[in-house]
Amino acid sequence: MTDSRPLPLTPRIEPDTQSVLAEEALLRQLVDGLGSPLNVVLPDALAANVEAFRAVYRHHRLRGRIYFAHKANRSAALLRRLAAAEVAVDVASLEELQHALGAGFTPDRIIATGPKNREFLWLAARTGVIVSADSPDELDELAALGRAPVRVMVRLSGFVSPGVQMISRRSRFGVPSEQLTEALDRVEKHAGRLELVGIAYHLDTIGIPEKAIALEGCLTALDECRRRGLPVWSIDIGGGFGVNYLADGEQWERWTSELARAVLGHRPPLTWNEHGYGLRNEAGTLRGALGLYPAFRPVSGAGYLDQLLSTVAPAQRRPLGELLLDSMADLDIEPGRALLDQCGLVLARVLEVRSEGPDTLVRLEANARDVSLEEHGVLMDPVLIPHRSDEPTEVFLLGNLCLESDLITRRRVTLPARPRPGDLLAFVNTAGYFMDFSASRALHQPIARKVAVHRAGERWSWCLDEHYWPVPEREEAA
Amino acid sequence: MRFDDMTEAIGNTPLVRIDPAVHGLRQIDLYAKMELLNPFGSLKDRAALQMVRPLLAGAAERGDTVVELSSGNTAKALAMIAGMHGVPFKSVTNRMKVPEIKDLLLLLGAEIDELPGQAECLDPTDTEDPLSRMHRTLSANGSGYVHTDQYFNEQNVEAHLHGTGPEIVKDLDGRAPDFFFACVGTAGSSTGVARALRQHDPDVRVVGLVAAKSDFIPGIRTIDEVHEVGLFDPGVYDTVDTITSDDAVDGLLTLVRRCGTPAGPTGGGAFQGAVRHLRALDPTLTSRKTAVFIVCDRVESYLSYLRERRPALFGRPPRRNDTRDLAADEIAAAPTVDVEEAARWPGLIVDLRNPHAYQALHIDGSINIVDELFAEMLHGGLPFGRRQPVLLVCPVGEKSARYAALLTRMGHPAVRSLAGGIIAWRDAGARLVRD
Ligand SMILES: Cc1ncc(COP(=O)(O)O)c(C=O)c1O
Ligand SMILES: Cc1ncc(COP(=O)(O)O)c(C=O)c1O
Repeated sequence: MTDSRPLPLTPRIEPDTQSVLAEEALLRQLVDGLGSPLNVVLPDALAANVEAFRAVYRHHRLRGRIYFAHKANRSAALLRRLAAAEVAVDVASLEELQHALGAGFTPDRIIATGPKNREFLWLAARTGVIVSADSPDELDELAALGRAPVRVMVRLSGFVSPGVQMISRRSRFGVPSEQLTEALDRVEKHAGRLELVGIAYHLDTIGIPEKAIALEGCLTALDECRRRGLPVWSIDIGGGFGVNYLADGEQWERWTSELARAVLGHRPPLTWNEHGYGLRNEAGTLRGALGLYPAFRPVSGAGYLDQLLSTVAPAQRRPLGELLLDSMADLDIEPGRALLDQCGLVLARVLEVRSEGPDTLVRLEANARDVSLEEHGVLMDPVLIPHRSDEPTEVFLLGNLCLESDLITRRRVTLPARPRPGDLLAFVNTAGYFMDFSASRALHQPIARKVAVHRAGERWSWCLDEHYWPVPEREEAA
Repeated sequence: MRFDDMTEAIGNTPLVRIDPAVHGLRQIDLYAKMELLNPFGSLKDRAALQMVRPLLAGAAERGDTVVELSSGNTAKALAMIAGMHGVPFKSVTNRMKVPEIKDLLLLLGAEIDELPGQAECLDPTDTEDPLSRMHRTLSANGSGYVHTDQYFNEQNVEAHLHGTGPEIVKDLDGRAPDFFFACVGTAGSSTGVARALRQHDPDVRVVGLVAAKSDFIPGIRTIDEVHEVGLFDPGVYDTVDTITSDDAVDGLLTLVRRCGTPAGPTGGGAFQGAVRHLRALDPTLTSRKTAVFIVCDRVESYLSYLRERRPALFGRPPRRNDTRDLAADEIAAAPTVDVEEAARWPGLIVDLRNPHAYQALHIDGSINIVDELFAEMLHGGLPFGRRQPVLLVCPVGEKSARYAALLTRMGHPAVRSLAGGIIAWRDAGARLVRD
């Protein structure tokens, strides 16, 4: 029962992105003028995501800050737009901190996270941003740098659960939760130079149960702070709320089922060199694990936060949202990917289309680092521009580097028509991590330029990303 | 029947005919193999005993722990058998989604390790899944573990080849049934029984039942996941049908309400899957046929699973004095006091937050009754006198307003809610204490 119909993975496209894609002439002009690949960001699309998170806060009666995890995109336009939207920002390097300060974030709306060098700590301490400390030594270092007391959070990791033992992936980051006492001793040792404002975690997992254990662990840590008389009011639960990339769950299920069948040899391969995305065939049994982002995720972003807050805490057996409220704790979050849902796309020009046996190979003027969907295991089909739909065609997308591995997709993607040289492909919903996180200047190829598009009446208008400022239009003198 | 230990009670379960008035098949006699009557509660008792028996003496001597990847029934049986020999048992799983089963295993003295969820940021160099990694650690020599390895262990099949299968043949007077239906978890039972039946009659039609993709029926695999099972051989089954969790619950209800059979969801799914499959054939049959399905385990461990899917089944009679019966205007009219007035409150102060939060910081002189408990108390009537002024405190003043409205309705004249809750109290800089 070989399924020979095409196996599309149609991306979820919201109306704003859809209407940008309809501006075919504008997009073509932009690529002609600024080169391929070209990154396009949509600052106007941020508001809906921010509002969705705020609605979850209101629903749970919680207060706290939404820190945008800047690492997800280098765009100035997106950052400035968020500064205007009264959102806060999470910076993870000296340069990100400088960028955030320059984009209009005041220090009270900035948190510095992740591994930090001395310069980063210095600027953070000088400007008075909150620092999420990764280790007790970082607390010492900060205490030695500041003039006024530096506001800090302690990031914890390695939480333990009661009863059922949760095995979590080992993390490089944070203070192991059993060393909380030691970390708090340091804070108290530096009283006057450090002011503890919160307890934090960030876990790289989509699993709600692990996060529920971590959040309850932070609440326990908060109790410990209060026992010591430290007035701590915030819990920062990091990012990782996820995005739903695909329009249709059935397509995703069909594609993954067919991949498993292909790996077992029950149907022709779907992928380049029979790549199994982590699955392998051992004597007729499927082994390994699917190394792909679960691209169809109906509960993601703000919905995921809502689900976490509604989850019953494993030890206290009361919903986590209520426990936070009971403890009068503010809830801080650091969404990156989820805040950028539908906020950008990458355009690439088709250079060559050729047939090789049964396969159609399409070479693009862009490489796998410019559109790093494969690297992040997110599978979505690109959109063909100009729009035609006369002959659904499955193609492999090859990049412009001299590397065998430079495949923009290692699977066949489905296009509504056979592409022609000069066409554009739009990789939608790529603002979170897939646009500039991995891009490099290998072979002296340029890194993509970035433009911001925004509505001007009925039409879309554009400017270079760095020229975008969310300044209100001047009132026309009547 | 007199036994030396409980494991001797494993097996020899009855084969019970299902009343044709219930299934409506005209030409087919349908029988249930009542595996739920095994002493530890399921079909898996057989496989657990068969797999672990040869390992126990060595494990006890070395002080090893028995370990298995199991989401429930195998773990339950192994925990009890290992416990009889003073050997510890640990279950590793990412599939244990039914809380009662977790609690039961902890009660039996098992240790449970849960595997992590997928990474949010994919690490493309990490091609090993946690399960394979776990597998490798377990099978290393001197690891301190003996691994029963149910998904790959032939003993899991043997238990049914020599037990379950022949028992069915014996109870059908030496004949194999024409049809056999079984849900597929490790595939041990369906494979073993199918082999035994085919030794008698190669024409037995064997139907494997799995869950539909992205559905969840505790104990069995989805249509995709069966391929990850070492014992699974598609050649065993004439057909592999999918059943949904809805089917499983429908079938369970029929078995418990009409057939005197307290079956769990896979028993229900096997019944529903069998009847659906057979109903299509029944009108075409010209001679009588027999069919057998397996009722793997019992209903009691799945109450939360059922509650989640069919809340209507558990509709309890309405209780008196419930905040859910209040009208919006009653809540809006709940009497409140502000922080300043609360600071001078002469009577009782009840803090409705959880005990941890209360103990960490509270208003001096307040007592703690967590809201769930308070709600229970009010179902019984007023828990304090009408002359006693009462101030209710919660995080933001919403819950306390509801309870103040309810107490007012119950005839208490001097109850108040702290407007804005303890968060407003804190924001106003009023004093919070801990004891
Ligand atoms: C500390 C911290 N916060 C927030 C994030 C953002 O995660 P996401 O983009 O998945 O929301 C990350 C991601 O690596 C992180 O390390
Ligand atoms: C409730 C339930 N039903 C059915 C089965 C299927 O049995 P088998 O593992 O022999 O395929 C299992 C196995 O774990 C189970 O727990």
